Amino acid sequence: MFALNSDKDLVDKAIKNGDIYAAAAVYSIAKCEQREVLEGIMFAKRRDALALARWEHTPAEVLNALSIKNNSDVGIVLRLDKNQNTPALAISTLYGLENGQVKRNTSFTVLIAQHRHTPINVLEAIVKFVDDIEVLKAVSKNPVANAQVLGLLLNRVAHSSVYEAVAKNVAANPSASADLLSAIYSYADYSQADDCQAGSSLRVAVLKHENCPQFLIRLAEFNVADAAIEIQRQLVKDSRLSLQALASLVASQDKVLRTGLAANLAAPKMLIKQLLKDESPLVRRAVAARADLTVSSIKYLISDKDHWVRQWLARNPAVSRKVLEKLSADPHADVRRAVARNSRCTNALLSELAKDEDAWVRAAVAYQKNATKRLLEALAEDADIDVLSGVANNPHTPQRILLKLISSLEADIRRGVILNRKAQRKTLLSLLEDSYYLHRLMLVNSTVLKDSDKWPLCDDPDFQVRFTAYQYFAKKYQTFTKNI
Amino acid sequence: MKILVAVKQVAALDEDFEIRADGKDVEEDFLLYDLNEWDDFSLEEAMKIKESSDAEVEVIVVSVGPDRVDESLRKCLAKGADRAIRVWDEAIQGSDAIAIGQILAAVAKKEAPDMVFAGVQSSDQSYASTGIATAAYLNWPHAAVVADLQYQPGANKAIIRRELEGGMLQEVEINCPAVLTIQLGINKPRYASLRGIKQAAAKPIEEVSLADIGLSAGNVGADSSMSRVRRMYIPAKGRAQMIEGTLAEQAAKIIQIINEFKGA
Repeated sequence: MFALNSDKDLVDKAIKNGDIYAAAAVYSIAKCEQREVLEGIMFAKRRDALALARWEHTPAEVLNALSIKNNSDVGIVLRLDKNQNTPALAISTLYGLENGQVKRNTSFTVLIAQHRHTPINVLEAIVKFVDDIEVLKAVSKNPVANAQVLGLLLNRVAHSSVYEAVAKNVAANPSASADLLSAIYSYADYSQADDCQAGSSLRVAVLKHENCPQFLIRLAEFNVADAAIEIQRQLVKDSRLSLQALASLVASQDKVLRTGLAANLAAPKMLIKQLLKDESPLVRRAVAARADLTVSSIKYLISDKDHWVRQWLARNPAVSRKVLEKLSADPHADVRRAVARNSRCTNALLSELAKDEDAWVRAAVAYQKNATKRLLEALAEDADIDVLSGVANNPHTPQRILLKLISSLEADIRRGVILNRKAQRKTLLSLLEDSYYLHRLMLVNSTVLKDSDKWPLCDDPDFQVRFTAYQYFAKKYQTFTKNI
Repeated sequence: MKILVAVKQVAALDEDFEIRADGKDVEEDFLLYDLNEWDDFSLEEAMKIKESSDAEVEVIVVSVGPDRVDESLRKCLAKGADRAIRVWDEAIQGSDAIAIGQILAAVAKKEAPDMVFAGVQSSDQSYASTGIATAAYLNWPHAAVVADLQYQPGANKAIIRRELEGGMLQEVEINCPAVLTIQLGINKPRYASLRGIKQAAAKPIEEVSLADIGLSAGNVGADSSMSRVRRMYIPAKGRAQMIEGTLAEQAAKIIQIINEFKGA
């Protein structure tokens, strides 16, 4: 029975349960003396402590406690270093043990250098004081390293043989600033005489970066016709490239380059018209997916011999209903399916496609958000699992049909009902006892079920369901406490 | 009519693990236990026969192992097995697959089933011989890697399809009773219902000693086995390394490595 008066009651229940996962779920709301008892449950056996240190869902507070209480166990430390949930505080503690009880080897420091929660001051210390190249490379790839740390790192390796490798990682790091990218680009220019290919790959990495300054794009496009193919391929995708530079690349022999150009939304209609008739289907597929297709281009592509081109066209929301109607009679089922998935597909067309001989096409109709109640009622009589899964997922499906589908033997169909945002409480209630644990787990966070409905899940036979249920109630108390 | 399903609780390895002090196995703290994947399919095949038969069919699961194995046996009971038997004696520790086959055969002799199912192999040891050894001790016909089964309870013959190399299937008629080792994919194993799990928690698991099945400590264990594990270890990694730097630097490094090998 659901009868909780306080967060203490919930923690007491978890303590009584004696399960390490229930204990982990409520740890963050436990008071000091309760925490000690919970730690006894979670960490007394090495096997359990190892399991929690490794598990990707272990709450940060528990991992932090492990980093303090069990940091002399190398097995635990290794798992904490690897666990992406380990919080910044724990990472600092573990790094601070460098010269303490746990004698680290380089591979442990690499894990800290690449961890997404490593604090900036720790990364800075690593860059300043650690000599190992693999550790420094790990920092260069870490997206939490800021521009200052990355700058320090580049200075540190400035005269070393690994500069290029580190610079390439920095150029791919989202934190790299425009200044750093400019410096790397300049280096690539100077190094070109020594190793042309390495210089090109560095410049490509810089040009690909979101923070790449406009002047570097201008500089690169100045010699675009003579540039290495990798640089041309990158530049041609950039919407900042001048029309003149784009036009100079349209006749390239390289189909990857032409595909990039066809996908560039800044490319003018004149160039797209040229690419429409490209010999490579890859290029024509990219054209067919463009949102700014003209009527004449659509008319040309509708009869393309490559079915992928027609499929991209059928998915394109820019095409008219009349074009969709024509494509709905395509001999290739994937094209008809694409029509059924198009948001502009009419009810009349959906009704036709609902009778398609191919189950994948009918399934696309069942998933279509424009499908009417009547159409879904008809599709609910289908025998195919994918079609019925679509009906179960669709928010327009009547509740009485959803109620029928929850007794399906196919887990995919029942899961469709759980995922249906319009499924009502009375529909979902019996799924709380579904044989597939994942379904019960998904229902813990349902917004239509009451807390009293979810409460029995705290005693579920599956540890993941128990953990999620306890965590759900713990969060409720946390929010409640914050509000008062 | 009875079907005996031999199941095993297997150990999966944690990503990072330590080898036991005696060097013969992995430290137990790093092992994650679960029912062998193949055995889920064996049990499902038995359950399919039970549920489609007009005659009464009893499905009995049997396993050899310590107390912790009860958890896996309860999983089988939750899925619908009628009875569960666990055989254990400390003397069994260290037994090889053939010795385990002897124990399972002894249980089969006592239970007198019409069919014995086992998984093709266990995911942790991969001997793929326990089922076949059981058949040998029973002196029953056997078939390995069964991917399809047509069998009427009580019939004296069954038609099976065995999975061979290159996607080939071999259709075989086999005399019953027989021991079949079941391949993955033969069916779609069910999940245990919550009701089944609750009921399984209350069902007894029959604990059987060696003496109960007419064996003694002298028949089992490492000393009586035909093979024994000498050591378990992780082989040394290769010496490949990435050479970084400019082309000139890479060339210089290669020359340096060659000179080191030559002793220059």
